[in-house]
Formats: sequence, C-alpha cells, structure tokens
Amino acid sequence: MKRDIIVIGGGASGLAAAISVKKEGKDVLLIEREERLGGILNQCIHNGFGLEVFKEEYTGPEYADIYIEEFNQLNIDYLVNTTVIKFNKIKDEFVLYTSSLAKGIQKYNAKSIIISTGCYERTRGSIIIPGDRPTGVITAGSAQRYLNIDGYMVGKRVFILGSGDIGLIMARRMYLEGAEVLGVAELMPYSNGLTRNIVQCLNDFDIPLYLSHTVTKITSDENNRLKSIVLQKVDDRFKPIEGTQKTFEVDTLLLSIGLIPDIVLLDSLDVEYDKLTKSVKVNQALETQVEGLFVAGNALQVHDLADNVSKESERAGYNAAKYVDNPKRKHKTIKLLSGENISYISPQYIDFAWPESDVICSFRSKGKIEKGLIEVIQGENKVLSKRLMYIVPAEMETFSLKIESLNENEDIIINLEAIK
Amino acid sequence: MYDFIIIGAGIIGSIIARELSKYQVKAIVLEKENDVANVQTLANSAIIHSGHNPEPNTLKAKFNVLGNKLYDELEKELNIPILHCGAFVVAHNKEEEEHLLELYENAKINNVPEFELLDYKKAVKSEPNLSKNTTKVLSLPTTKVTNPWEVAFACMENAMENGIEFQKNAEVTNIKYRDKHFIITINNQTKLESLAVINAAGVNSDDLAHMIEKDTPFYIRPRKGEYFVIDRRVKGFINHILYPLPTDAGKGVLLTPQVHGEILIGPNSLYIDDKYNKSVTFEGLDYVKKNAPALAENIPFDKIIHSFAGVRASSNIDDFYIGESKEYKRLYHLGGIDSPGLSAAPAIAKYLLEDIIKIKQSYNKKNNFNPYRKKRIEFHRLPLNEQLELIKQYPTYGNIICKCEKITEKEIVDAIHSKLGSDTIKGIKKRTRAGSGLCQGGYCEEKVMKIIARETSRSPLDTAYDSPKSKIFKAETKVEE
Amino acid sequence: MKKKFICIVCPRGCHITVDDDGTISGNKCIRGIDYVKTEMTSPKRIVTSTVKTIFKELPRVSVKTDKPVPKNKIMEIMKELSKVIITEPMERGSIIIENIMNTGSNIVLTRSCMK
Repeated sequence: MKRDIIVIGGGASGLAAAISVKKEGKDVLLIEREERLGGILNQCIHNGFGLEVFKEEYTGPEYADIYIEEFNQLNIDYLVNTTVIKFNKIKDEFVLYTSSLAKGIQKYNAKSIIISTGCYERTRGSIIIPGDRPTGVITAGSAQRYLNIDGYMVGKRVFILGSGDIGLIMARRMYLEGAEVLGVAELMPYSNGLTRNIVQCLNDFDIPLYLSHTVTKITSDENNRLKSIVLQKVDDRFKPIEGTQKTFEVDTLLLSIGLIPDIVLLDSLDVEYDKLTKSVKVNQALETQVEGLFVAGNALQVHDLADNVSKESERAGYNAAKYVDNPKRKHKTIKLLSGENISYISPQYIDFAWPESDVICSFRSKGKIEKGLIEVIQGENKVLSKRLMYIVPAEMETFSLKIESLNENEDIIINLEAIK
Repeated sequence: MYDFIIIGAGIIGSIIARELSKYQVKAIVLEKENDVANVQTLANSAIIHSGHNPEPNTLKAKFNVLGNKLYDELEKELNIPILHCGAFVVAHNKEEEEHLLELYENAKINNVPEFELLDYKKAVKSEPNLSKNTTKVLSLPTTKVTNPWEVAFACMENAMENGIEFQKNAEVTNIKYRDKHFIITINNQTKLESLAVINAAGVNSDDLAHMIEKDTPFYIRPRKGEYFVIDRRVKGFINHILYPLPTDAGKGVLLTPQVHGEILIGPNSLYIDDKYNKSVTFEGLDYVKKNAPALAENIPFDKIIHSFAGVRASSNIDDFYIGESKEYKRLYHLGGIDSPGLSAAPAIAKYLLEDIIKIKQSYNKKNNFNPYRKKRIEFHRLPLNEQLELIKQYPTYGNIICKCEKITEKEIVDAIHSKLGSDTIKGIKKRTRAGSGLCQGGYCEEKVMKIIARETSRSPLDTAYDSPKSKIFKAETKVEE
Repeated sequence: MKKKFICIVCPRGCHITVDDDGTISGNKCIRGIDYVKTEMTSPKRIVTSTVKTIFKELPRVSVKTDKPVPKNKIMEIMKELSKVIITEPMERGSIIIENIMNTGSNIVLTRSCMK
C-alpha cells in the first residue's frame, strides 16, 4: 500500500510532524524502533520542556505524553519495535523495508518521507583520551537511560567530561541518587549547556566546573574497571598544559562530548551533507536535495529545546503534506551562508519553489557575545537587522525572513557582530 | 591423563587444537581470559600477508607463504570471512624505489606466488585514492584480510566438535614434571595431568616456560601498536591494503580495509615494559595520524569511531621460536609469534605437529574428523528471500537489536548458547558485531545486556563486560543500603 | 554589595542583579523577580526523580514535586522516594505522596504507569 507520508522516528520530532501531517488531511504512518513512543523524552525526567509551546514547564515524559495523547486522539497509524533497515527512492516514490519481531520484514512505499531519527552520542572512540579502556567509561545518555528507565547506577564515584546539558543534568541526577560527583570538565572556556543548568545542577550541589580542562588519561584497576582519571588544563589551542595534571579517583567517567545527527538511513540517497551541522542540507521547507525527503528535529541539527524540535517538525509535516499535493516544482535556490561569528545556519538554501513555507532560520554563534547584532544581507540589500543579548554557542537562536523580501538570484549571508 | 594440554587460546592455540583434533588424542586447551582470542588475536591488523617481507630462509618467511596458501582451504572448510583485496607497498621516490626492488627480490626468494611492480599511473586505476606522491608500487595480490578472532573461534569450535576440550578462566599457575608426565596447576587449585604440554601463551609464553625451565631460549619483548578504526560507511575509500616501505621497527603504519568494511589505520611500534599495557597514547595515535597520509589522499579522519592498542609477543630472536624444550621432552614452545603470526598460523600448526611433535609416530588419525564448520549466519547479508524463509522459522531474526550493524536477537541468542558461547557484552560483540558500529553500543548495549540476563537467568546487575569481575553496574537505585 | 543571579525559572536564564538597595534588574519577565526574592531568603527547587514499581515492563516511573520545595529538604525527599513502590496502574498526575516532608508540595507521577 502506498502511503502519502511516512515519518521515521516517534520522539518529539516524529510526533509533532505526524500530527501536523494528519491535520493537513494527509495519510501518514509513523515508524518507531523502541517499544514506546516518546523517544529520548522518556528518559529526560527533568524539567524544562514546554515553556514555549505550552507556556508551562513540564518534564520530558509529561511533554511526550501531551503529544502522544493528541497523536492517539487523531488515530494516527503507527508501528513500534520496528526498525527501518533499507531505504531508497526509486523513480518518484520512496521504498522502505522494515524489520520487527511481530511482522518480520515488510515493504512500504510512500510519496514523501520525514526523517525524525534524532541523534546518537559521540563516544570516546572519536576523541582521543589516552589510557586504558576499562568499564565505567560511558556516555551520559546511556547512563541516563540505565538510571531512569532501568533503575541501575553505573557507578558511585563519578566524573563528567563535557558541560553540555546531558552532562549537567546527569551530574545532578547521579548526585541525587547517592553518587559522589567530583566534577565536570569542559574543554571550552565557557559551558556548553543552558545557563540555568549550571545553577540548578552544579552550583546547587557544589559540584565544581573545570572550564578549559579535559581528561588526559584513564587508568583501570585489576578488574579492568575505571580507577582514576587525570584532568588537565588546556591552552587556547586546546593543548594540555604540562604541570596542571590533577588525578581523581573515580569509578565512572560520563561522557557528554557531543550529539551527532543520526542520518545513516540517508546513505543510499543523493543528499548533500553539511559539515557544520553534521547533517544534510535542506531548504526552508526542510526538504533535502531529494524531492519529498524532509528532515527535522535533532536529525537535522542538534537542538537545545524540545519545544524548538516540535515547532520545526510541525513545519516539516505541513510542508510534506504540501509536497504530496504539489510534488512537481520548478526549483530555484539560493544559498544561505554563515558569515562572521556564525558557526552554522539552517536551512542552507532558500528555494523559491516553496512559497507556502515560512523561512525560519536557526543558527549558533561561534563564541560568547553579550550584546550582538544579526545582519542578513543579500547583495547590496540588508534584509534583516536584529539585536540579541547574551548569545552563546550553547543556545540556538532563530529569526524569520519574508520570502517576498528576497530576490531569486543572489546568495544570502548572515553575519553576527558584537556591539556595545 | 591428557595426551596434550595446550596453554593459550589465541589464534595459535586454537589452530593447533584443531590440528590435534584430527588425531585420536585426549586434549584440552586452557585459557586464562574469559574468552578465546582475547589478547593479541583481538588487536592486530587482521592481515594475511603475502610473505614478501620476512628474511629469506627463516621460519617466518617459510610459514608466511605456506600459511597464506593454507588459508584458502581453511576458508572453505571453516567458512571464515576473507577479503581478497591484495596489497600495494608504496614508494614515493628513487630511494624508496630501490628499497621496493629489494622487496621484490625478497618476494621472489620467498616464493611468493604472485607479485609485480606497477607505476603510479597503473596503480591508481585500481586505487583512486592512492597518494599522489606515489611513484611506484609493489603489488601483492595474494595478500588478504580476515577477522582474526572469528578464525580463532572457528578453529576452536571445530576442535571442540571433534573432541578437544576447552576451559576458559583457567590461568596456569604452576607446571611440574613427575613420572614422565606434566602436572599443570590451574588458578592455584585444580591440577591436570598430561603427557605433553604445548605453550601457546603469547606474551606470557616466556613466563610460562620459566615456571618449569631454568633456561628458556627466548624471552618476550612486548611491543605495542596503536590503531584508529574508521567507520565502515567509508567503504571503497581504499581497495587494497597499503603498506609503506618497512623499516627495522616493522611494517609501518598501514591502511587496511577490514572484512566488514571498516578501515584500520596503524599501527605504530613501541617496545614496552608492561605486557598488559593496552593503553592508547597521544604520541602513538599522533604518530599514526602523521604517517598515514603518505599512503592515501583524503583519509577520512573525521569518521574515526574507535582507537585501540594491541601488544605483539615479539622476542629477542628475529624469528619464530617453535621447538621442543631443551630441558623437558614433550614440552613444546611457540615463542615470539608476532607478525606474520596470523598469516603463518595454519603452517605453524602443521609444522609443530608433523615436524616437531612427530605426532604420526604416536597417534593415529581420526577417521571421523569433520573439518567443516557451518557458516555463521550474518542475517543482514543474506538475500531477501533467504531472510524471509528464516524469519518464518525464527521470528526473532526480525527483531533488530544493534541498529548500526543490523544484528538480530536470534544471532545474539545463538551466540550466547553456542558451544563456544559467551555471556559478556564483549563476547557477544566479538561473535555478532553488536556494538561495533557507528554508535559503539550506545543504542544496543542495554538491549544486549537484557538479553544476556534473560538467557542466562541472571540479574542484569551481574552482566559483565569482559572478565567476570568487570561488571557494568554498581548498584540498583531505590534500594535501602 | 550587588548580588548576581541566573534565573532558572525558564531556559532563558536571565542574568538578574540585585542592588544594595534591593532594586532588581535584568529579568525579562516578572517570574524572575519572585525567583530572586525567594532565592535570597529560602531557595526552592522542583525535584524530579523516579520511583520503583513492581512492573517488569516499567521498573521505574518518573515523578516530580508539583511545587518547588526548600533546597535543604531535597536529600531527605530523595530518601523518602526510595521507599516508594508502585503496586498498581496509575495515571499521569496521580499523587503518590501528599505534602512531602511538610513542604506543601505533593509527589506526582509525570507519566502514566501501566495505564
């Protein structure tokens, strides 16, 4: 049976996208590989969700539940415990193979696909931490899952590498569950997580934050369990400074060293990759170079707030529905380029074949800027000028453009400068 | 009373066990680790070299070339994965070309069956990412890559199938000789008796020998090598193994495609004091990163998913030491089996049994020896129609546990319960590849852990990563202390 | 002496300053003012955690305090929570402990348990 739209992933992104598609009156099937909907929200038992979308603060599971309730009320078709194992576009349609215990291998066709597959965590393997490879070195998200879903403590004396939100949240979580948390180290001279988390996860419990520090050695005991780590200060080129070594006797090192969009499913398609976002390039409709293939949420760019994931994915759903009505478009694209102090910009293209889509741009700054000015320039024309306060790389910023105010021929550049 | 006790279940011990199982012997393999192939055999480049490199008329030269050939037969009998990719030794200038010519001559003397010199233009046709600074290469088409621990598993499974016993977590703590036989003490408690002992203990082979001998004619000089692993999704980046010109330190930093598609970059070479030092270092990995680009363009360093170190059981002798003890008859040593140990393994086993032990003089061959081992089911590699058939019979082939490598529940359950099964995360990873992919177990370790707990009727708290004492968890939450 | 705070009421994390004379500035909404006032006298936090259940499919279920509680009572609250075992299906929002440690706050489920 040929579906209009298949959504791959049933977390914050997939739920919002599928709801949006259904509201546009199109047929949709959602495929989730875990046994429940909700994705990573299920293990994010802390607060901080829903302030923008619902104007109320919720925990992750509550936020997920609200979407799941609406999802079920709309009677949206879905599969759980089902993994997409093969994915391709043949002529004008997408062909998917899934695998599950219940149904074995199944084949699906769809006119359009929304990729809502989230992120995976960066592991020790991709950064070099010299030393042994004992048990007790684990990503913060995995430890979070073991703790909040299964009820297991991965260790009792903990050090955390990386001050991203997951690391900060887990610092507090492990502490509350009775572990000793000896510190959080951050390679950069500033924290990578939301400022509120520094306060309520570290300061509240007197957990020290070592900025401009990294772990330079891991030592194991005779049972190949983590025994100690060496912490070292780094210089402005991130090279460890001799003589600053400090040893911590710990049995657990949690790694919160980055999230990477999970877009392996797109390997067999002709998509264009963006080294900066570590994902695929899209136009303002969130469509990739492969027509009808949309990507949203953490799979597109690493978000800090689930609310933004939901909003972005809602747009993806809406656009996918519009695509199904009008698949043959004459594309006319211009580029959006990262200028001064911009680490990346999303979307990477504006396609004038998508007049019905809003142009909502998100970016991250390269460094901390207390008072900044964003300028969006197309050729000689200053399309947008906006002041922003307290800009940090850890917090994604957005702005919107009116497509009518743009010309179809020149690329756009976004600059951010510090002002007094 | 055993006829033979083999100490060490790396590739050497395992393949010797299989050779032994062709004879009517009572034999057991003792392994101190919690699994077959847990030390050297687990951490190397996985290359079956052509035999171009070793000094002529050494055991290394003879057995490398012979072993390479014997792998063809092994591949068919045991259904082990082999990548027939060939290799290039890369030269960048006139000086290196001279050295290359020496290797060419060396290959000739060693009776390497196929080899030729190619200029850059010809070589780059089949190796588009070959370094642009290459002038000439020595092509070695018989060079192959395998999965060394799977070879060891295959040999040991087949040996067990044919009557050889195996005991893991069995560290030999004493060896004595009395009344024309050996008494082996395991873990300071159990005693086993045997007419003959085969020392295949790798880095520990000298320490083991010293338990009974006064003067062992070799000693181990452990040599560490560090590697990077690049995600298999860059498959096709290189088609051949790429070697630089060898130096005294060894074959150098190589680029090696692996059977499942990953690329290994490394190793460096560093003599170390501590035999158990498997740590990676900034310096070691830096060295690897600096030297690799001499071989190929555009090395995808950003796709590194893992790094590891392996220890080679190099010795003070420049060759393999394979012989009977000078002090005790029927104590046999395999010392200093470093590169090309993996390549030579089939030939080493034959040599030991036929020429050193002279086994045919004392034992008859079995007439019911079964050389075959069924191919391990790698479900995701099967054609769709076969997959559908299997799923009908075993629905758990439909339950994907490791998403990155597409490993199913059935494969994992089979790996737990097989004759040479494992109940550790690492053991399952070695047997099925679950956890070897992009996310390095981030997604599937929890699921594998739960399956192990279920299948062994134990608490998840008991789940070990490798050795029985290496538990993943410390405690359960919400339990009053 | 000026006191500096980072408001934690929402992810914005406004940098709020309190001058010697008590003037509060830097907040983008009024909740920041309340936050800083409370923070200076008796700091309060929402506590989120999990409790044990008897259900194999859901060994832990997430909970929270439905109001902020005094910071200095957090560890005692955690201890109380470790004694809880959910033995029957319950809906999200169900109160499992009323008025925990006399704080005026209840412990509620943040997801449904087997319902």
